Amino acid sequence: MSWAASPAAAAGGAALGDDPSGRRRPPASASAAALRRLSSASGLASGLGALVIWVALLGPVIALLTHLSAGEIGSAITGPGNLDPLVTSLAAGGVTLAVLLVFCTPLAYMLARGTLPFPRIWEAGVLCSLLLPPLVIGLLLVFFVGPFTPIGELLNATPWHLSATNTFLALVIAEVYESAPYYVVGAQAAFADVEPRIEEQAALLGDRPRRVFRRVTLPLAAPGLGVALSVAWARAMGAFGAVIIIAYHPYGLPLQIYNTLQETGLASALPYALILLVVALPLPLAAFTWSARARRRRRG
Amino acid sequence: MLDADVEVDRREFTVRVAVSVAPGERLALFGPSGAGKTTVLETIAGLVQPRAGRVELGGRVLTSTAPPKCFVPPWRRRVGLLRQNPGLFPHLTVRANLRYAPGSDPSGRELAEVAEALGISALLPAMPARLSGGQAHRVALGRLLLAHCDALLLDEPYTGLDAGLRRTLTELVAGLVDERSVPAVLVAHELADAQAFADRLAVLDRGRLLQAGTPDEVVLRPASRRVAELVGYLGFVPGAGPEGGVIGVHPERVTGGAQPGRGIVLTGTITARRPAGAGWEADLATGGTVVTCRLPERPGAPGDPLVVTAVDPPWWPESAVADPPRAAAKRAGP
Repeated sequence: MSWAASPAAAAGGAALGDDPSGRRRPPASASAAALRRLSSASGLASGLGALVIWVALLGPVIALLTHLSAGEIGSAITGPGNLDPLVTSLAAGGVTLAVLLVFCTPLAYMLARGTLPFPRIWEAGVLCSLLLPPLVIGLLLVFFVGPFTPIGELLNATPWHLSATNTFLALVIAEVYESAPYYVVGAQAAFADVEPRIEEQAALLGDRPRRVFRRVTLPLAAPGLGVALSVAWARAMGAFGAVIIIAYHPYGLPLQIYNTLQETGLASALPYALILLVVALPLPLAAFTWSARARRRRRG
Repeated sequence: MLDADVEVDRREFTVRVAVSVAPGERLALFGPSGAGKTTVLETIAGLVQPRAGRVELGGRVLTSTAPPKCFVPPWRRRVGLLRQNPGLFPHLTVRANLRYAPGSDPSGRELAEVAEALGISALLPAMPARLSGGQAHRVALGRLLLAHCDALLLDEPYTGLDAGLRRTLTELVAGLVDERSVPAVLVAHELADAQAFADRLAVLDRGRLLQAGTPDEVVLRPASRRVAELVGYLGFVPGAGPEGGVIGVHPERVTGGAQPGRGIVLTGTITARRPAGAGWEADLATGGTVVTCRLPERPGAPGDPLVVTAVDPPWWPESAVADPPRAAAKRAGP
């Protein structure tokens, strides 16, 4: 591979990219152009570098797949009560997403539109919860919603004698704290991408604000909101730091992995890791695919 | 009838404007960037609340700061606003954009007619991202027409489009305003755009209306020196005779040689010359000032004498060089 070789290779690539029918095929020609770049020395070097990083990032997943056997997975799934943490995680994750959608979507919209007074302070608050280590969040939550705090006593005074430690409620609270900032930051960016001028047009055409939100803002922000929500889902599914402190029971998948690791060792924890990935990843992947497709549709 | 008499506070100055536009009439608000033209449109559309004033459209009070106080929100005003960014909904097809307004056209017949009139019938299934600038503007215009707006506000909509396209779109809008008999207000900072569109021209500067009248009146008889500057007068020479005053010289309203019957003869020496389009531009030192004139033929070299005639130039007495009060800008009722 030398510099001299590249013009010829480029010409060949161009011929490949030509479509005899005259129709445009953007993805194919984009890939062809990328392949063409690889035929130069520097292009090849950067391509190889990218490949190394990509493989390194995926390494742990590859390791997981190569160290698992069907038998281990089978026995992990069929053991009595072994799937209870999965159910707990799914339920708590579902409730968490609902909480985020209902309470954090309006906040994200107001942050994006700058309609709150002192917007920087609000943003700093969201960032603060994003930057706090989950373990510290858990620790502080004990002092915030634990049984001997005003909020804890208030919860206990309800007819259902709620408690925010070692209950399903506690698990949801911990997951909300770990995932909310990811959703708020992502949703804020999604709303900020919707031009206020377009909402203004909708209003001038006769839509009251709520209808503008439903007919224009939400559909336009939806791809970004979907991605933000799925990232939050992945965080909620994997929430561990805050959970281990205030919601050890009823335990979900991350704690099941941790406990299995503690009690019977690495090998028997692996099947649960696979289950966690299988549960946590499809939603984000689907959201990314859907979001990309929605953007493509908009381009016509 | 669209009536607006409003005061809106801006950071540097207060916009104080009174305009009234009859159905089917086309008013152009002309002025430099930052004069407050867009603020006036936004106040009419209900996007900006005035500190004081009143907006009325077809007998409906839209804004009133005097009791009984009233502020109709933008979505109930039925005022169409077209900006430079046509603001099409990118997630909807052209057809869905056109029928966006609630309750517009269930049968689709009117949509087909409007699309035909605007030449966008073939684009109905397309997504807005696929449209050219001119096509997007036609769609945005069609969307306003199908929403049955009672007034049409145009905020420099054709900035960035090429001259031919601007002319076509301007003619299209003017025809539609006639046909539908709605009041229309165009904001422009290019005089040619304002002239091409308007029956009446209102000159706005730093939030104040300086003059309103037919485009010819404003351009040929600017009410003050500032208006003259805004509509392109580049030279101001002291008037001769006992009255004194100031004479405005527009570079394009100058003809070579002494023709005393057609205007004021200016004599002086050339200080600079340069090609300008198909003709020439010369700077002429005369009467202690410098006047720029456009001439069809190549003028002499700097230092050479030159005699030109400013054709029918406007003249102001010394006292009128200041701006007139804003009451003068309001139109007499129909």
